[in-house]
Amino acid sequence: MQERSRLKWLFVGPGILWVLAFTIFPLLYSLRLSFYNARMGRPVTFAGLDNYRRAFNDYRFWDALEVTLIFVVASVTLTVLLGLGLALLFHRPMRGQRFFRSIFLLPLFVAPIALGYLGLTIFHEQVGAVNTVLRAMGMVNLPAWFSDVWLARLAIVLVDVWQWTPFCFLVLLAGLQALPEEIYEAAALDTDSGWDTFRFITFPLLLPVLFTVTILRLVEAFKVLDIPFSMTSGGPGAATQTYSFYIYLVGLRNFNQGYASALAYILLILMVIIAFFFFNRLREIYD
Amino acid sequence: MTKSYQKLGKSILLWVLIIIATAWAFFPFYWAIVTSLKEPNVILTKPSLVPFWQFNPTLYNWQLELTTRGREIGRALGNSVIIAVGATIIATTLGTLAGYGLARFRFYGWGNKDITMWFLSQRFLPPMVTVIPFFLVIQTLNLLDTHLALILVNATFTMPFAVLLMRDAFKELPPELEESAWVDGASRWQSFRHISLPLAAPAIAATAVICFAFSWNEFLFALILTLKDAQPITVIIAGVEHTQGIQFWFVATRLLLAILPPALLALLVQRYIVRGLTFGAVKG
Repeated sequence: MQERSRLKWLFVGPGILWVLAFTIFPLLYSLRLSFYNARMGRPVTFAGLDNYRRAFNDYRFWDALEVTLIFVVASVTLTVLLGLGLALLFHRPMRGQRFFRSIFLLPLFVAPIALGYLGLTIFHEQVGAVNTVLRAMGMVNLPAWFSDVWLARLAIVLVDVWQWTPFCFLVLLAGLQALPEEIYEAAALDTDSGWDTFRFITFPLLLPVLFTVTILRLVEAFKVLDIPFSMTSGGPGAATQTYSFYIYLVGLRNFNQGYASALAYILLILMVIIAFFFFNRLREIYD
Repeated sequence: MTKSYQKLGKSILLWVLIIIATAWAFFPFYWAIVTSLKEPNVILTKPSLVPFWQFNPTLYNWQLELTTRGREIGRALGNSVIIAVGATIIATTLGTLAGYGLARFRFYGWGNKDITMWFLSQRFLPPMVTVIPFFLVIQTLNLLDTHLALILVNATFTMPFAVLLMRDAFKELPPELEESAWVDGASRWQSFRHISLPLAAPAIAATAVICFAFSWNEFLFALILTLKDAQPITVIIAGVEHTQGIQFWFVATRLLLAILPPALLALLVQRYIVRGLTFGAVKG
């Protein structure tokens, strides 16, 4: 195809300029801030690497990192596995599949902030939905979801899993439906074990889609803020205080913008490392 | 004979699983609806799940939300519409152009893939990294508590969806359609405008819906950049935290009000949602 070099920049240019304008400046600005003692209402002084050094000696930083990693691993694993299970379950000729898929579309469009508050009412110790059901089933010592470290973590993971499993499900179902049928016809001649068919045919063929789903989930999970923000306020103690939440507290509640920027940059570096890890595969997918 | 019984058993088991899964997906909505129909003192004293049998449903909370608090809620929904539509128009327009450019032209040096990946990598950027400088800039520009501030932010964050999805959509159209128009003397812009663009209309609609939904549900920037006049619904939802504890009933009503616009739009373009949310990597 003939190149008209000016014209092509007219198409791509505005988008690039827009994103550059609104990300490069903030990024440079927070990089600068991260080397300063910048607290609202106090003189700004150069701090060198102090903010970064401070982070590594800050046990809350390590706690937040740990909480985030637990959350990411639990949520990504559960959503992908449950999504895969559902996709396999629904991948068959069946009546009303469109209807079911519509239902599963809904959780994706709930504002996470609203979902967090709803989660608060669902897991409420006395009058929440979960404990109401457990009580009806005869349980006497009802779990106190928000005062136990691990139960609180479980609760936010479950809410996130509820929201994102449909994403994994719909994407993996689309992936399954795109697999060629002839392969299954051929396989049916050799085995009628469903497990073998899954292990040797479906799973390997579905790997690229599984990879895509996992990486997209990872990216979103690392940024998690809204659900712990509204559901647990990071509690009990700091048990559900995720990394983004900690930056929020430091920078926007305590107005220590210098330290918050350093924390943000550490998160950014982590994200870049993760991205770098997957980048070559991603490039292939978006070919 | 036994084989057909086995088959029947298997299919009953499958349907049981399907129904459980669907109930699980729908349960929080059910809980929200049920909660919105209970009087506050009933919510806080008598835990229950089934209307009529366990409690008498009432529209009390809805009345309160829509009359006494109606102005506040209405204004917030209006703000959300302005912000989300504004951001969607910008992101979809620029994203469609860039997507077309990436699908149809070749870039050298900084190649097509690099540009595409650069757009995608924007989604890796944690909002927490940019929120403080954004706040300071918006404050300096005197744009705090304006729709414009949030439109700019959301357009930026949803742009990657628009670029990648539209790039994918244009790649699927055969280039020959436009090439034959050039033979007839059409310019590149004309062939884009009159051939490719209309053919990509469904993808554009899906892009718009996704940009709309993400802008509509955005919370962090909305919280930081608005004070009162420009507050969207997500910030009003966070207002359910009351000094006397969480107001369950308003959680339920506002969640249900807030989900309606994006969910209805999403159902319209259902076929494209998977593709949109995976940036075009998986065809729905």
